[in-house]
Amino acid sequence: MTEMTFQEAVVAAIVEEMERDPTVFNLGQDIGPIYNGAMHSARGLSDRFGADRIIDTPISETAMTGAGIGAAICGMRPIVQIMFAEFLGLTITPLACEAAAMWYKSDGQISVPMVIRVLCGAGPHRGHAEDYIGLVAGVPGLKVVMPSCPGDAKGLMTAAIRDNNPIVFFEHMGIYHGPRQEVPAAGEAIALGKADIKRHGRDVTIVASGMMVQRSLRAAEKLAGEDVSAEVIDPRTLVPLDLDTVLASVRKTRRLVVVSESWRTGDPLSDMTARVAEELAGEGPLRIARAALQNTPRPFALSLARASMPDLQDIINAVRKVKDDTK
Amino acid sequence: MKPDENLKVALYQNLVKSRELEEQLTELPGFHAGVGEEAVVVGSFFGLAEDEYCAPHYRGALMAAHMRGADLHRLIAGVLGKATSYNRGRVRGDICLPFQFRTLGMFSGVLGNPMNIATGMALAAKQRRDGKAVVTSFGEGTSNIGGFHEALNMAACLSLPIVYVCQNNGYAMSTRTEYAIKAASVADRAGGYGVPGVQVDGNDVLAVFEAVQSALQRARAGQGPTLIDARTYRLSGHYTGDTNFYQPAEEREQWIARDPVQRLRADLAAQGILDEVRLNEIRAAAHAEVAAAIAAAQADPEADLSALGTSDLYSPSQVEEAAA
Repeated sequence: MTEMTFQEAVVAAIVEEMERDPTVFNLGQDIGPIYNGAMHSARGLSDRFGADRIIDTPISETAMTGAGIGAAICGMRPIVQIMFAEFLGLTITPLACEAAAMWYKSDGQISVPMVIRVLCGAGPHRGHAEDYIGLVAGVPGLKVVMPSCPGDAKGLMTAAIRDNNPIVFFEHMGIYHGPRQEVPAAGEAIALGKADIKRHGRDVTIVASGMMVQRSLRAAEKLAGEDVSAEVIDPRTLVPLDLDTVLASVRKTRRLVVVSESWRTGDPLSDMTARVAEELAGEGPLRIARAALQNTPRPFALSLARASMPDLQDIINAVRKVKDDTK
Repeated sequence: MKPDENLKVALYQNLVKSRELEEQLTELPGFHAGVGEEAVVVGSFFGLAEDEYCAPHYRGALMAAHMRGADLHRLIAGVLGKATSYNRGRVRGDICLPFQFRTLGMFSGVLGNPMNIATGMALAAKQRRDGKAVVTSFGEGTSNIGGFHEALNMAACLSLPIVYVCQNNGYAMSTRTEYAIKAASVADRAGGYGVPGVQVDGNDVLAVFEAVQSALQRARAGQGPTLIDARTYRLSGHYTGDTNFYQPAEEREQWIARDPVQRLRADLAAQGILDEVRLNEIRAAAHAEVAAAIAAAQADPEADLSALGTSDLYSPSQVEEAAA
């Protein structure tokens, strides 16, 4: 049994795939031997694989993304580190307008096997928290992955590198250097598009992503003391989303709480909520509540930053709201 | 015929076919023709190795793809959105090309993307150390996009095997080059990236061809990118329906006098390489070939709704297949 932090797990998956597949290489700013990537996101890679496969670039997110696409369509498997999700806007023209469309519009002539890595979320350094997930989740043809724990991070990164489509892989800074946990064996992938039921329950379905998964699990623990049995589902892949697993759970509980650290407008979990309503509202009573990042630009001061996103109590309150049949 | 005479004849045949394509396709709705710019198109993409990649400017893209082996009839079917196009009508064929011919087009209408992606195609060649190089072309208007700067700078930093050809036709829609670019030449910008900048007469197909071939040799030898500014002129509108009202009559006359097709034709006749009869035959054959391809494409069925599905949004992947 091997235990790793989130950061170690992601890097381990990259190392394994690079050793297995010579077409995998990395492009990024400060990922070389001097700096090893922001927040150690590329630690050890350069020492192991050298400058030919761990390529430092100038600050040029558009060119980095375009270069990744171009290399991918010519048979390589690039991993492009865009450092922070806050910078995703700089990648959008090549990523959304071209890469996302290539396979479909070319009628299957062009695959774009590329992983875009981005750090996101409220983390220890209090910067670059915005995930702008709606920018990429709303574009058909991209896949969006957001792991919530080291084990998923490793298995999902393995799958992402092997996938033949452009993928945006979110790495949450708030759990990046957290506790070590058990991770899948070398080369073991977790299929994209498969949700994981992190906790089984009968009364309420909580769907959460990223750092909110752990927080929702803690809320479920507390609620168990109130005799409320909450099921916690982590979609893991936000696009394409495993709607079947969510529907099966909500069919059983008839109560859905969605917990996200993204702005609710444009959040792929908001689209999921609409799809759940479409599928299940006709079958009987259905209660829905959402806890999300406040729909404003993210505030800076720690007190404001903390209060702008769902905390434990917000999640518990949301569950109580859907549990209360008198309202 | 001597080798250089053979080359001239081959270039002329392509130049004439390119002119016929641009002129005849101007009649189709929404087409972005490049009448007058054919020497840059032919000079840039003629004679690439079959296994090398390229990403042509959208203006003249069909001829570039055709020179690499794409079928004219199917290319034009793509312009019309017909079922017989290379992609069943999923992408507009005047700006997006069949990649099976190692020719990249635009999957959106956003300028600057192809040159960034072409830069990555060159990165793949460098990663594989296969001695191949990439040619990409773009309009001078695109050289004002941030992605141009990023691509040139990164290609220089990583010493990538790529040739950037600016198909400088004097106008970005109606905006004159002199207004939007204060450097004397787009090639002058190369100095800012530490790469060679080359100015070439974009209405002289042989000059363009030689400049591109020389830059390609440099790229293949691992000596990095080159930026070529090929100055030409757009005699057709920005797209079908644009009447060129913003182009001064005297200016147009000057450029018509420098017409790239007529120039090479006169050269071939003066040097006795081809006589008038043969020159006329080449033109007539090109005219007939393009007209037949257009007629055939027009007669093809509209795109079938079977191409509309969502089930093939993603490329199948190893992990999904293993899990299935």
